[in-house]
Amino acid sequence: MEELGIQILKSLVSGLLMGLVFALVALGLTVIFGVMDIVNFAHGEFLMVGMYTTLLISPLLGVDPVLTLPLAGLVGAVLGVLCYFGLIRFLLRGPMIAQLFGTFGLMIFLRNLALLFMGSEPRIVHQGWLVGKSIVIGPGVVLESTKLAVAVLSLLSFAVVWWLINRTKVGKALTATSLDAEGARYMGISTELMNALAWAVGGASVGVAGGLLVNFWPVDPGVGLLFTMIAFATVALGGFGSVRGALVAGILIGLIVNLPPVWDAILRSIDAVGLRGLDIHSFKYTMVYAIYFLIMVLRPQGLFGWKQ
Amino acid sequence: MEAVKNAFDFGDMPRNELGLAAVVLAFLLSFPLMPHSSFGMATMIQFLMFSLYGMGWNLIGGYGGQVDLGKAQYVGIGAYTTAVMMIRWDVPFWFSMPVGMALAVGWSFIIGYPLFRLKGHYFAIATIATSLVLKDLFEVWNFVGGARGLEIPLKGDFPNWLYLQFREDYYYYYVILGMFLIGFIYMNGFRHSRLGYQLRAIKDNEHVARSLGIDVHWSKIKAYAVATAYVAMVGSFHACYNFNIEPEDTMSLDLSVLIAMMAMLGGAGSMWGPIIGAAILVPMKNYLGSWLGGQAGFAGIDLALYGMIIMFIAAAQPRGVYGIVEAMRARRR
Repeated sequence: MEELGIQILKSLVSGLLMGLVFALVALGLTVIFGVMDIVNFAHGEFLMVGMYTTLLISPLLGVDPVLTLPLAGLVGAVLGVLCYFGLIRFLLRGPMIAQLFGTFGLMIFLRNLALLFMGSEPRIVHQGWLVGKSIVIGPGVVLESTKLAVAVLSLLSFAVVWWLINRTKVGKALTATSLDAEGARYMGISTELMNALAWAVGGASVGVAGGLLVNFWPVDPGVGLLFTMIAFATVALGGFGSVRGALVAGILIGLIVNLPPVWDAILRSIDAVGLRGLDIHSFKYTMVYAIYFLIMVLRPQGLFGWKQ
Repeated sequence: MEAVKNAFDFGDMPRNELGLAAVVLAFLLSFPLMPHSSFGMATMIQFLMFSLYGMGWNLIGGYGGQVDLGKAQYVGIGAYTTAVMMIRWDVPFWFSMPVGMALAVGWSFIIGYPLFRLKGHYFAIATIATSLVLKDLFEVWNFVGGARGLEIPLKGDFPNWLYLQFREDYYYYYVILGMFLIGFIYMNGFRHSRLGYQLRAIKDNEHVARSLGIDVHWSKIKAYAVATAYVAMVGSFHACYNFNIEPEDTMSLDLSVLIAMMAMLGGAGSMWGPIIGAAILVPMKNYLGSWLGGQAGFAGIDLALYGMIIMFIAAAQPRGVYGIVEAMRARRR
């Protein structure tokens, strides 16, 4: 029984930390969707670009990976703005299908560009302030300092974005654009600028997420898809366009992904022979998709959504 | 009888389109007689397969306006049904194909009922989710071979019509060409059918459609089932043609997207759209791949180019290639 208790605590902690990572990845997606009703399939590829930025810039400048985060954010923001003015602006004129495919083309393009320049082998940051360090907070419960840093920065990013949207004039303009773009235009708001801003904020947040993630998650050109899907699930769970929802849903998904060890511990503690064969480790992402599907069907607007 | 008459009624199509179609048909029928490489033959078979996938997608995505990004799950159901039945119980292709279609249609009803309560992006992303769940399940399900998939053993001498096993590719070519023609004729009938008109009304305006007494939800589910049958049929063929199936190549998101992209590139909501789209994208992908992808140090450049072209088309002409044709025709009038 004691083992079960420790395992639950362990899963709770690592689920919470991982959840904050997922939430940070999803933050950019929900901001972009909230403002302009467009689903960015290339979101995971933006993350990949952020990861590679930190990976390459840090040895180039000779500074610690953590210090390159602003640069990763900047690269993400520039990429977002470039994509907006180069592609998304034109897609907005077309039907929804065209938008889906435009961003899909972007995803294929970025992924294979990375393959062309970086090769297919997975890479990770090998040394830095955060790598390999951990804080022990109890018997068997270990906080990895990389994940802890991501969690803290994730909360910080959420605070910044929340402040930006809810407490500033620019945020009001963003909200106005998302509620009624035409109306906002009549009020003298440059919706074009607001859309670009949304892409900049979205790109920056996901770039920072990538820069942090590469400290403990190996990057390869195909890394984006899993994160795109998790980000979709997170955003859908929380409600498209809801910043608060993304945070809560991200944590929820982090906890779900960390369920299998608890399940194993339960099986061990009650000595259930019949259920031994039921290995749910390979289902951890399946559970995410399934729950996402259920939520979509039962409550299409998500937990905190206001857009239908 | 009415349905059969509708299926062969091409009266509402412009003359020059029909003429072009006749030329294309003659080309398709005589292609194996012309000198060709085996690579060219494989490309043609893939073109026909993707045209059929695209027709299925177009039925619900083009005529109905419901963007489905989970078509690959039905490819998988069709392919796995045929493969499993052939390996375990020696069931011939011609019997397992309808079974696969029936299973896929059954599954489409199960998930279609809740799915169609969603709209737009929500629907599109939810279809991805169902497809991924199914793929993950198949990857751990030992009965169907898990992630390594299934290998279909040879069932006697070539050519084996019962199990669809041939040494020469042109047999496969004519089988899939037959399916293609049936699919095309059926699609033409569907266009004129009650459900076809209902679906287009729903696409234009759901509220109006409902006020006209159309059961919107049920119409979408029915059309989705028809679309599924197309895709599952080709999925069964895929299993026999490749002799080897695994979840990654029959159920992946990439396949779903490719299917949708073909139809959308050619022009969603038109008869010719999926065919045009497949005729452009399949050769382009294959030849770009063999031309650029094979060179050392250039891995990925073919697909990067491919992505660029997709972005360009989506931005420049959201109604696809057929949209360009229609725009030109409208200008001439």
